[in-house]
Amino acid sequence: MFDAHAVTIGTHGMLLINAAMLCLVGWALWKAERRLESGSDWILLLMLCVFAVSGRVLLDPIPNVQPVTIIVLLAGIHYGAPRAIALATAVTLCSNLILGHGLWSLYQAVGWSAVGVAGALLSSRLLVDGKLNIERLAMVAAASGFAFDWIVSISALHSMGSELLLPYMVAGLPFDLLHAAGNVAFAAWLANPLSEIMTKHLDTSSPMAVNDSVSSTL
Amino acid sequence: MSDIVALFALFVLITIAVGGAVEDENRLKSLSLAWVIFLLISFPTLSSEWARMTSELIDDENDSHYGLPDIWEGKQVVCFHFPDDHAPDGYDGARYHIDSDGTQFMTDSDWNHTGACIGGFSNFENGLELMDEAVTASGGDFAYNSTQYTFGLQINSIAGVNPCDASTCSDTSGAYWSLFHNGQMAMVGISDLTLKADSVITWSIETW
Repeated sequence: MFDAHAVTIGTHGMLLINAAMLCLVGWALWKAERRLESGSDWILLLMLCVFAVSGRVLLDPIPNVQPVTIIVLLAGIHYGAPRAIALATAVTLCSNLILGHGLWSLYQAVGWSAVGVAGALLSSRLLVDGKLNIERLAMVAAASGFAFDWIVSISALHSMGSELLLPYMVAGLPFDLLHAAGNVAFAAWLANPLSEIMTKHLDTSSPMAVNDSVSSTL
Repeated sequence: MSDIVALFALFVLITIAVGGAVEDENRLKSLSLAWVIFLLISFPTLSSEWARMTSELIDDENDSHYGLPDIWEGKQVVCFHFPDDHAPDGYDGARYHIDSDGTQFMTDSDWNHTGACIGGFSNFENGLELMDEAVTASGGDFAYNSTQYTFGLQINSIAGVNPCDASTCSDTSGAYWSLFHNGQMAMVGISDLTLKADSVITWSIETW
């Protein structure tokens, strides 16, 4: 019998394979999006969910660098808070079915939902005349990295005293820094093409989500 | 701490170099990529150095790691305690903490023993192997002298400190290097000591 799968692949090799798979998923979704009619906002959200889940799972070997935060932030900017929250929760649940589902999932969903709400609240400042201000977006994305991590850190209160929360959060700063830097990189490289696609699929037959007031839609 | 300063200086240099070499349009793309790559490469150093800087001493007296840095929780540790005025040069007046890579990062002047703990080790099953590794990590500061007997290994001196130099020894009294395992006096010698994943072994001078 052949043992055709008995190949030892190191960490770097596995990361290369994952990166190649993420490129494949991204390319396939991009090609599929081209065939969509304009205004297919829910289908696009589903495709964004697939890309975000794939990105989070495939980039898991890299600590805290993944595209979920920037995708949820952009969804908040373009589609408003409710759909960003739905996307954030779906991405958290689907990716955690592979990475591990537990108490932390709730805090991650809340954290990414908060990022989406922040995007919706700041949409008029980040999306000026239909064009993203990348510098401002990068700053919000960096801050979102820290905010998300600190919200998830609150889950540690279930297993330790509140006096340990601050040292716990301080100890995690290198991970927060990496998350923030990753978000800035995703904002610089992905935000414009994703924003163009999201704008194309805004459902113009209904009031634009961008203009939804967060308080009235929550 | 010095590693963090060096990393920060390198980060600033990379930012200036990359930011200056690229035109405005692509500056953020290039800079962000450079930052991520830099952080990923330096992450092991950054995270371990930061963990040392922010670590605290465990204050749970029921924990076998009581008084030790919390970054060693679940890891193996070797402590050498010396009587006052008999600690080796550089290790007096406090208990010093040395990580498994030889980095001294924390000093506890309130601890009731003088000396040092070397920790952060894992996967050692035998006490002597762990102790040898700790001595190596300390740069030989806690090298020991021993005699092999049929019943096991006897430690005569650690860091050049002989128990009878620190205590009065006579025909009716004496002193010896005593071995403790997780706070309890060990029932076997160091060469026969079977370790746990989070064992703390402590050497201190006892009298009889």
